[in-house]
Amino acid sequence: MAGDLIGSLRICSHCILPETFPGIKFDDQGICNYCRKEQKALQKSVEKKAQYRRRLDDLINDIKGKAPLYDAVMAYSGGKDSSYTLKLIKEQYRLKLLAITFDNHFVSPMAWENIRTVTNTLEVDHISFRPPWPVAKKIFSLTAQRDIFPRPTLLRASAVCTSCMGMVKGVVLRTALEMKIPLVAFGWSPGQAPIHSAIMKTNPKLIRQNQMAFGNALPEDIRKELKPYFIPEVYYQEYADSFPYNIHPLAFFDYDEEEIMSEMRELGWRPPEDTDTNSTNCLLNAFANQCHIDRHGFHPYVWEIANMVRQGVVDRDEGIAKIYSPQDPDMVKYAKEKLGL
Amino acid sequence: MSDLRERIRAFVIENFLFGNDDGLSDESSFLEEGIIDSTGILELVSFLEEEFGITVEDEELIPENLDSINNVVNYLARKLAG
Repeated sequence: MAGDLIGSLRICSHCILPETFPGIKFDDQGICNYCRKEQKALQKSVEKKAQYRRRLDDLINDIKGKAPLYDAVMAYSGGKDSSYTLKLIKEQYRLKLLAITFDNHFVSPMAWENIRTVTNTLEVDHISFRPPWPVAKKIFSLTAQRDIFPRPTLLRASAVCTSCMGMVKGVVLRTALEMKIPLVAFGWSPGQAPIHSAIMKTNPKLIRQNQMAFGNALPEDIRKELKPYFIPEVYYQEYADSFPYNIHPLAFFDYDEEEIMSEMRELGWRPPEDTDTNSTNCLLNAFANQCHIDRHGFHPYVWEIANMVRQGVVDRDEGIAKIYSPQDPDMVKYAKEKLGL
Repeated sequence: MSDLRERIRAFVIENFLFGNDDGLSDESSFLEEGIIDSTGILELVSFLEEEFGITVEDEELIPENLDSINNVVNYLARKLAG
């Protein structure tokens, strides 16, 4: 039978997607249909990345120094990728930046240390936003137990992460609108979000519809409690002309994990020892992963890591280790107990 | 028009519904019905640009153009005619 085996699980012989991944088919060489589909795009990726770098240069030339307070706001988790993105846009473009950390009550102590160190070293203003624990507990407990979001979302992230990111995006966008900040930066890895979404002008109608879809997925009581983390209805008109650009530069800048780690160490950032293999900031992640694996039979990070293996930015064996190692039982237990499950 | 419709429909079914059309109608709202998420909308945009040689401008990234098969077909027909 074509494909490689991890125990009795068949995975693609080129990337690392498993036979349990929705819609997957293997050819007689054991290569999956997703790898075949990506071949054409990967051939054009050098040209495409250069094109996006030029687009970002142009965009920054247009906006730099014109906003009243900050040129850009960064959704900053304190993890490796968002710390590196913050450094990249600060040093490469000399922007006036605001970093926002969404404190989901599971940010690791080492991540907080890294946040302090990096924002101090880069001289970036930083604020954090924390919903009350009962609200966070309710949404994370719900999404740990049930898949409430559309199926395509769950191919890329666990329901727990999707709920958290929904709040992050809402809070960061709201801050950008209120402070008239023209650029919102995210530290998505090159496998997390496709390059064609790497520079995008947000617009009120699409954001409104996205938020409605997110809100409608929630039970009514939780939807009401989460309302403060969404964009208020009146903002769609009030700020209609100042919806910002979203960027995630790691999709089109060189991404070499060793080089990134080395640059981050120079900055004083330390790899956390208190998080799981797929996160450098969150203590809820291992439990979220375990819930997703139990419900769907595949790891919620497998899509991202498979993309990075195809792009050659993660070694395949390393990708297999990240995805097919068991979740740390102590970390799973910690989050589960904290959520009262 | 029917060719455009079939190509868009096939793309949505293959990429977002994993080959199962699940009763996808031409009016189904991609976002409201959870067929495509916000990242998926941009994958759809990339498909339209590459497959049909159009450029989707920032201000055209609105539900009226992209949130159902009918909306995409009508938008695309206008772009190709223009």
